[in-house]
Amino acid sequence: MRYLFSAILCVLLLASPTLADAPNEVRELLKVKIDAVVVLLQDKTIEKTHRNERVLDIISPIFDYPTMAKLSLGKKHWPTLSQEQQVLFSDLFHKRLQASYLEKLDLYSDEEILYGTAQAEGKKVHVPTTLVSKGSKIEMFYKFYRSAEGWKIYDVEIGGVSVIQTYRSQFDGALSEGTINDLLEKLRIDDTFVIDAADVKEVSPK
Amino acid sequence: MEKASQTISTGLLLFLFVLTVPLSGCATHATGTHEPAPIAAQPEALVPQAEDNAFELEAEFDETFTEPIIDPLSGYNRVMTQVNDKVYFWALKPVSQGYRAVVPEGGRLAAGHFFRNLLMPVRFVNNLLQLKLKQAGTELTSFVINSTVGVLGFGDPAADYFGLQAYPEDFGQTLGHYGVGSGFHIVLPLLGPSNLRDTLGLFPDYYLDPINHLDHSEAAQAVHAFQTVNHTSLHLGEYESLKGDAIDLYTFLRDGYEQRREQQIKE
Repeated sequence: MRYLFSAILCVLLLASPTLADAPNEVRELLKVKIDAVVVLLQDKTIEKTHRNERVLDIISPIFDYPTMAKLSLGKKHWPTLSQEQQVLFSDLFHKRLQASYLEKLDLYSDEEILYGTAQAEGKKVHVPTTLVSKGSKIEMFYKFYRSAEGWKIYDVEIGGVSVIQTYRSQFDGALSEGTINDLLEKLRIDDTFVIDAADVKEVSPK
Repeated sequence: MEKASQTISTGLLLFLFVLTVPLSGCATHATGTHEPAPIAAQPEALVPQAEDNAFELEAEFDETFTEPIIDPLSGYNRVMTQVNDKVYFWALKPVSQGYRAVVPEGGRLAAGHFFRNLLMPVRFVNNLLQLKLKQAGTELTSFVINSTVGVLGFGDPAADYFGLQAYPEDFGQTLGHYGVGSGFHIVLPLLGPSNLRDTLGLFPDYYLDPINHLDHSEAAQAVHAFQTVNHTSLHLGEYESLKGDAIDLYTFLRDGYEQRREQQIKE
């Protein structure tokens, strides 16, 4: 046992310098996560609520929700919120992103996922992927940065459209016309908003 | 025995340390589903903690706040966004659902291929205008293959067997390629989000679309309507899903459209 353990330790220590290749490391990290999600999606025997919980367990560690919440308001608006509002906003935004992600999974129908070459830029690594389905292709761009707790996603671009950027414009618009409390209220209402189940069923995997 | 387990647990600590410190990035998957020790996992603690690095990342998003968006038509645009939304839910969607119930997916995909093949002139000319000669050549080759082997374009052997992809380019993108700015945003009836540049771009593309050269304009309209229904039948649920993400539908679609066009012009 002890020998085995030392052996593993040695291998890991020796292997560590090669793992310093950040773009590939991040790409692998993402691939492992997505592959695990795909396995769950393809398993039609799992009940949906249970499946969604497991999906969140897999992907949550690589999403930096607090940073995404801040970026969506930006330096311009974030500091104008009280500590309490910041916590509430973070929480509502976090839930919203998760709900939106889970809801998109229902549109998944055995698409093939291709991984492009990851690009490093300072503390950031961007991993391009392509979702290939029967009629079309969707480019998904995962943007990671090196946080204190490892590589984390701070934004996702879908077909050139950045999730954070679209929230920024909407929040900026909302805050120029109304108050932060209106916005929080809106986020809270939308929180309970559930997509028409029939729409989702239509496109669920055949 | 106790000593052995102690050594192992000390070793384990060391192991975790080695793993988390220099390779913090891969720790998540190297340790499988187990997260590295949740040192700062308190949600309350995360909010102020992320303060330091969060705004470092902001540089790439900054454009929106520094350059105010010029949107003189926003009043009209908002109304038209609602109109288009209603048209989708009240007319286009039910019709597409009915059509989908009758025509099997294979047939609808084939029809989609047919229309895409027919629109080759739009892509070919705009690739040429942007001097993307290789892509223009690919478009031409695909057209020849799909119109013959692919039986009038109902199949897509160019993609399936020759790995040739389509390079969608339109005149709006051609103008953008040569540095023409987008101008203000316009929501077009039925067609949805657009801007001044892309709306102007519709006119040259109109003449390159063979359907518009049919003898009767009613026939052209009917074919276009069919094309739209066919396309929608293959993409039901997508608009609904997008809409669910919006806090303000108009701003959301406007911004998404402009970003997407920027990206397409860059490609």
